[in-house]
Amino acid sequence: MYFDPNENLIYPLYALSNWVLTTGGLMFVVLFVSLANLLVTRGKSGVGVFFAEIRGMISDVFSISPRRIWALTRLTFMEAYRRKALAVFVVFAVMFMFAGWFMGDTQEITPDQVKVYVSFVLTSISWLTLPVVLILCCFGIPEDIRLRSIHTIVTKPARRIEIVLGRMIGVSMIGVLVLLVMGTVGYIWIVRQTPERSQKFLVCRVPQYGGIKFINRDGDEGTGVNVGDIWAFRNYIEGATKARAVWQFRNVDESVLDADGNLQLENSFSAFRSYKGDMTRSLFYDIKFYNPENGVSYTTDPQPVNEFRSKLDKIPRKLTVDDVQYDLIKDLVTKNKFLHVEIACIDREQYIGMARPDLFIRMPNRPFWVGYWKAVLGIGLIVVLVSMIGVAASTIVKGPIATVLTFVLYVLSGKNSHQFMDALMSGDFKGGGVLESIYRLVTHMNPTTDLPETPAFYVVKGFDLILTSFLWLCKQVIPRLQSFNMTEFVANGFDVPFNVSILPSLLVTTAFIIPCVMLGYFALRVRELESK
Amino acid sequence: MSQSEAVIEIRNLSKVYRDFWGRPKVKALNALSLDIRKGEVFGLLGPNGSGKTTTMKLLLGLLFPTEGEITILGKSAADVSKNERIGYLPEESYLYRFLNAYETLDFYGRLFDMSAAERKERSEKLLDLVKLAPQARRRQLKEYSKGMTRRIGVAQALINDPDLVMLDEPTSGLDPLGNRDMKDLILDLKKQGKTVLMCSHLLADVQDVCDRIAILYGGELKVMGRVDELLKAQDETQILSSKLSDAAVKDVQEVLKKHGANVLKIDHPTANLEDLFLKTVQESRERPGHRTVIEGKSAS
Ligand SMILES: Nc1ncnc2c1ncn2[C@@H]1O[C@H](COP(=O)(O)OP(=O)(O)O)[C@@H](O)[C@H]1O
Ligand SMILES: [Mg+2]
Repeated sequence: MYFDPNENLIYPLYALSNWVLTTGGLMFVVLFVSLANLLVTRGKSGVGVFFAEIRGMISDVFSISPRRIWALTRLTFMEAYRRKALAVFVVFAVMFMFAGWFMGDTQEITPDQVKVYVSFVLTSISWLTLPVVLILCCFGIPEDIRLRSIHTIVTKPARRIEIVLGRMIGVSMIGVLVLLVMGTVGYIWIVRQTPERSQKFLVCRVPQYGGIKFINRDGDEGTGVNVGDIWAFRNYIEGATKARAVWQFRNVDESVLDADGNLQLENSFSAFRSYKGDMTRSLFYDIKFYNPENGVSYTTDPQPVNEFRSKLDKIPRKLTVDDVQYDLIKDLVTKNKFLHVEIACIDREQYIGMARPDLFIRMPNRPFWVGYWKAVLGIGLIVVLVSMIGVAASTIVKGPIATVLTFVLYVLSGKNSHQFMDALMSGDFKGGGVLESIYRLVTHMNPTTDLPETPAFYVVKGFDLILTSFLWLCKQVIPRLQSFNMTEFVANGFDVPFNVSILPSLLVTTAFIIPCVMLGYFALRVRELESK
Repeated sequence: MSQSEAVIEIRNLSKVYRDFWGRPKVKALNALSLDIRKGEVFGLLGPNGSGKTTTMKLLLGLLFPTEGEITILGKSAADVSKNERIGYLPEESYLYRFLNAYETLDFYGRLFDMSAAERKERSEKLLDLVKLAPQARRRQLKEYSKGMTRRIGVAQALINDPDLVMLDEPTSGLDPLGNRDMKDLILDLKKQGKTVLMCSHLLADVQDVCDRIAILYGGELKVMGRVDELLKAQDETQILSSKLSDAAVKDVQEVLKKHGANVLKIDHPTANLEDLFLKTVQESRERPGHRTVIEGKSAS
């Protein structure tokens, strides 16, 4: 199971600064574009208009009326309803009526099949909801402008901000409603599709992850061994040496124990054999707990590695070491609630591989529906985000273009493009920025040689710096949707962690509210609402 | 009429429509200046494409002036809060076709932050006022005829009991009966002390209800003044009597001759705003840039 839930872990303070950065970056873009637009269309007087509109926007904020926003929200709702946008439910129903045919009908299924069910349901829900939301948000205002029905609204005391907000809320609410209905149907479908005996796979395991460090074979701190995996997800420790993997778990107290008072440690270690050995027998590891404060330690009996499957070790609370009774929580956990766990490989010249998420404390399970609905919430947040961006885009361009724009932004906000942008900005690519690499290409210059420090050098560097800053801005503007996809957690039988997935998604979504509304306000304010 | 306070002041207003690249396309309005006073019914006349709708949209802030200033209810055209006291009937009814009459009025009532009870009461009253058939009120607007759409459009414009009502071609699409209703309604509004600005190319309507008119041609103001004064030919006297026999006509002619007057025409009187209108248009075509009468005074 190659999925590292920690990849986008965000710490609260960092989260806040991230939020400020995203909002600020977006607001900068919006203001800059608006000013540029005004300067082009109105000449010098554009500056005056710009500041007047900023003032107008602020005063609009203070004259916002919930009743007017609600009126516009209802209008969006009724429009969607009367124009039969909710026909999407029919497609959904048909899909599920026939999906069962292809899913087989057995007495017992494996966790992998449960994974398929959950992924199927959550993926089809999001792929059905998003297009509807996209169309609704991107065509609402442009249609209003084309048919000039917006004239009857803006000649009433409705503020532009309210028009934008009303649309955004309306479309989001439709999306959320659709999600709720589909989510419920999907949930019932999963539960009924899973045979009685396999219902136990429908759980939300709640892992508590720790930090990892490696000790090398000679006892020094190190990085573990890479056994030649192309993707170095796991590092390996050598058997019967001083090599160890050391985890440190925080906040360990009685609440992590299961109903019987055991500490549950779940791992998904992998084994690597440097010689064939006895193939019928697994590799063995042992687990050592120690408390550096009082020197107490406890080592378990050797345990076999469960290759390709996860393994659960239950450590009783009452431990006996050399006839002395210890309490796992009282004696082996430090005063600051840290628990140190060391894993050693027992077999000589064999290796056991592990990465940070490969060992975790399993807290008491949560019911399946908790994780499931959190994943639906993730889709809901995407719906809200798409509605906001779509409505903002549709105040500037016509419906089809707004749809394409929003869709492109949605595609760009995936994991890969962000990783690519990160890589570009970190300077990991040899050969410098755009201009520098063009220069190197043309002159056949080796990327490892430095450029001559002529004045042209600084021009090139300066230009590339501007482009990199632009890229940085793009990175702020393009939302990171990675954390919104919570399907993987649930499909793998995990609960959706708050600070890894829900918090970042909430932050991204909320960071877009102010800039999107601002953009909508400006676009509806500085242009004549004739159809064009 | 007394020179009471101006509800709308337009100064030197020009509007040039531009294409996507910012190049001037149409000069729809050229240096228009006029005042509309409190409590009057003002008619904006002109042939199609003369800039009437453009003027209204500029006043409402739907379009931005290329040049000139607008004060409307003491505020600038860009100020949204002025809309609290304005009712606007667009040239075509740009209402939401998927709503029914009640929902439409309810929606616009909400935009004025009116309470539910207020909205309900007002809707009922207005639908009666514009005489929309009760059985039609629950049908979606897309099923309405042009006249019905016009009626609901007017009701929508009056939802907030506005002080200033702006009607763009209020009688277009109405049958003679509806036409009469509309004129009565406008007169009624005037009686309530409201200011009405309407534009039309149907002269008979304007003549019946307007206190003052302005005639636009090609975006320029050609004639402005009180309807009765404009229609009063300065150097003619009209004598109207019950039907005379030929002998009697001869006698009258004798008498007139004695007083040195010429009989120009003996005829049945007609509504002759049409004459004025046609004359103005004719003249504007022949002599561009010519202004006939402004505020009852001759000018050239
Ligand atoms: N959105 C627009 N873009 C370009 N030209 C326009 C637009 N609206 C109106 N016009 C032009 O402006 C002139 C005045 O139009 P309008 O004010 O609608 O006339 P009226 O209401 O008196 O019939 C016409 O020549 C018309 O073609
Ligand atoms: Mg018109």
